[in-house]
Amino acid sequence: MNAAAPQPPPEPAAAKKPARELAPALLGLLSASPFGLLMLFGFVAPLLCVVWFGFMPPKTFSLLQAPTLENYRTIFDQTYFKSILWSLGLAGGTVLVLLVICYPLAFAMAKIFRGGAAFVTYAIATSLFVSENIRLFGWVIGFMKKGVVGGTLAAWFDLQIDSLLYNVPVIILGMVYVYLPFMLFPLVLGLKMVPDQVREAAFDLGASRWQVFRRVDLPLSMPGVLIGSLLVFVLSVGAISEAKILGGQKVVTIAADIESEFTYAQNWPLGSAISTLFIALTTVVVFFALGRFDLEKLLGKKPSE
Amino acid sequence: MESSSPATPILEVATVTKRFGGFTAVDDVSFRIQEGEFFTLVGPSGSGKTTLLRMLVGMEKPTSGELRLRGRVINDLPPNQRPTCMVFQSLALFPHLSVGRNVEFPLEIRGQRSGERRTRAWELLKLLHLDPNRYYDKNIAQCSGGERQRVALARALAYDPEILFFDEPLSALDARLRKTLQKELKDLQRGTGKTFCYVTHSLEEAMVMSDRVAILRSGLIEQIGRPDEIYSSPKNAFVAEFMGEVNLLPVVGTGDATATWDTGRKTLALALPAPLPAGAAKKLLIRPESLRFLRADETAGNTLPVRILNQFSLGSRLQYHVEVAPGCTLTVERLREERVTGDTALLGWDLGDSQLLDA
Ligand SMILES: Nc1ncnc2c1ncn2[C@@H]1O[C@H](COP(=O)(O)OP(=O)(O)OP(=O)(O)O)[C@@H](O)[C@H]1O
Ligand SMILES: [Mg+2]
Repeated sequence: MNAAAPQPPPEPAAAKKPARELAPALLGLLSASPFGLLMLFGFVAPLLCVVWFGFMPPKTFSLLQAPTLENYRTIFDQTYFKSILWSLGLAGGTVLVLLVICYPLAFAMAKIFRGGAAFVTYAIATSLFVSENIRLFGWVIGFMKKGVVGGTLAAWFDLQIDSLLYNVPVIILGMVYVYLPFMLFPLVLGLKMVPDQVREAAFDLGASRWQVFRRVDLPLSMPGVLIGSLLVFVLSVGAISEAKILGGQKVVTIAADIESEFTYAQNWPLGSAISTLFIALTTVVVFFALGRFDLEKLLGKKPSE
Repeated sequence: MESSSPATPILEVATVTKRFGGFTAVDDVSFRIQEGEFFTLVGPSGSGKTTLLRMLVGMEKPTSGELRLRGRVINDLPPNQRPTCMVFQSLALFPHLSVGRNVEFPLEIRGQRSGERRTRAWELLKLLHLDPNRYYDKNIAQCSGGERQRVALARALAYDPEILFFDEPLSALDARLRKTLQKELKDLQRGTGKTFCYVTHSLEEAMVMSDRVAILRSGLIEQIGRPDEIYSSPKNAFVAEFMGEVNLLPVVGTGDATATWDTGRKTLALALPAPLPAGAAKKLLIRPESLRFLRADETAGNTLPVRILNQFSLGSRLQYHVEVAPGCTLTVERLREERVTGDTALLGWDLGDSQLLDA
């Protein structure tokens, strides 16, 4: 402040001022509190319970016992790592397949279709209105022995085929189908952020279509790619219905393992320990990915060192 | 002027038309750009400047007509195969690349080695008054408007195009920076000897930089010529008006070199610089500096009693708004020394300082 500036006359309500300055902070806190409470009691508290339960002796139902590492020993002694790998593998596969399928579609929706984009958006969003399990059973009817596909082939072309269900590709197909919107919409938004003139400038400076894609579209739409991939990965790594309904007993995912510990085996501490381990693992994978791709840097908001 | 040039044009636009649906954005336009020339397309907003430029660089295809680069028809050549390059109004820099990498982009595409690229980028940044040590690694987001402007120019020069196109690249900058960059651009064009084709909506900007100017009006070219030609003999009232503040009086001939000027309330009789058939309507152009206030004993080709409404300072000159008849004003510009006082005055001009133009 300039010392020579005339002092403003003392405010009559000077005592009120701090209260008025406090008000926005207080209001902010107040408006955040419903969500805060919900997160506290609906997410943080149960999560802490689960983590703590993982240290209780096996096959007990009380949180008030001496902690033990026995559950974790069991996990590493047995073959749970297989289920973990299956879950990570299926999720990773789903992400990759979805990236390949969705990128061109998203590109068309963001840059080529005009009114058509809204129609595609509605069409895809509508599929979310139907319960996932119902949609998956629809696939079962389609792919089972003498189902829609097999039956049609048999009737029209006299081709006898076995059930198409219960294998890894069909599980991935189901996951790809269920999680498609979660990849597509972030990609569309990401691609919409690529300015048309920047693409044209690259083209004008001699770049081929492929080079424009590699050097302009892809890096500038990276935020969408990243958000879509993370969403799909996190959702599909905990997926359970696809493997169960379409995969039968062929593949046991970690989510299925956890479910059976809590229900069939009645071993809550072991179930909790697997959950804890798996949450930790997913978190590490996600943060690793986030660290690799710095969103701010991609958007050009931060100096690249 | 056009035909007197012996050299073959570097770019020839022959009866080019562009239609969007039923709307004609560029209408049967023809002109030639000579090698090493600074050519400017001027026109008001929506006159089709961008559309024309986009066709010249290959981002849009003409509906009909031909574009010839050194005699070769290039209508169907995509932008990445044309030896031309455009600086966009939005500049269209790559936000995810540093200043240096932006400039190197066309070299990288061409497959040049990183050492050579860096040397060239360094040279170009220096040429454009950007200290490479400071700017090479800088992020685009950290550059000011004028600096980005220079980066865009350096990037375009790195492509080493035969013709450089500009679509109102300076319009987002403040007046002073714009003036500086206009001069730099002209210097750059002289220094590199490249052909520049510039688009702007400001005739003043066009006059400062260009060797030749084409004036565009709703997709049609109104006039092409050197800046002084256009200034001294505008082809019609549109061109004259576009040049800035001028007085254009709608006159109707009354036989011989006389006419009437209907000011709304009052019809005044005027003497004209040239004969006008009775009943023919034209516009009489009188520049503000050609109008002068007369002393009682002075005479001029035309004299009118006026009321002085307003007086503005333009630095060394003063501008007056004077009323000839209620609701009908003229603009007068005089040197500061010739200041007049009082409410009313006698205004006059010499016949030779006025021109008859088509409406
Ligand atoms: N892709 C398009 N589809 C339909 N009409 C278009 C298209 N591009 C331009 N136009 C129309 O063509 C006319 C000329 O547009 P253009 O962008 O060339 O004007 P301009 O002279 O560059 O104007 P400005 O000074 O505002 O940039 C405008 O009326 C515009 O609406
Ligand atoms: Mg334009």
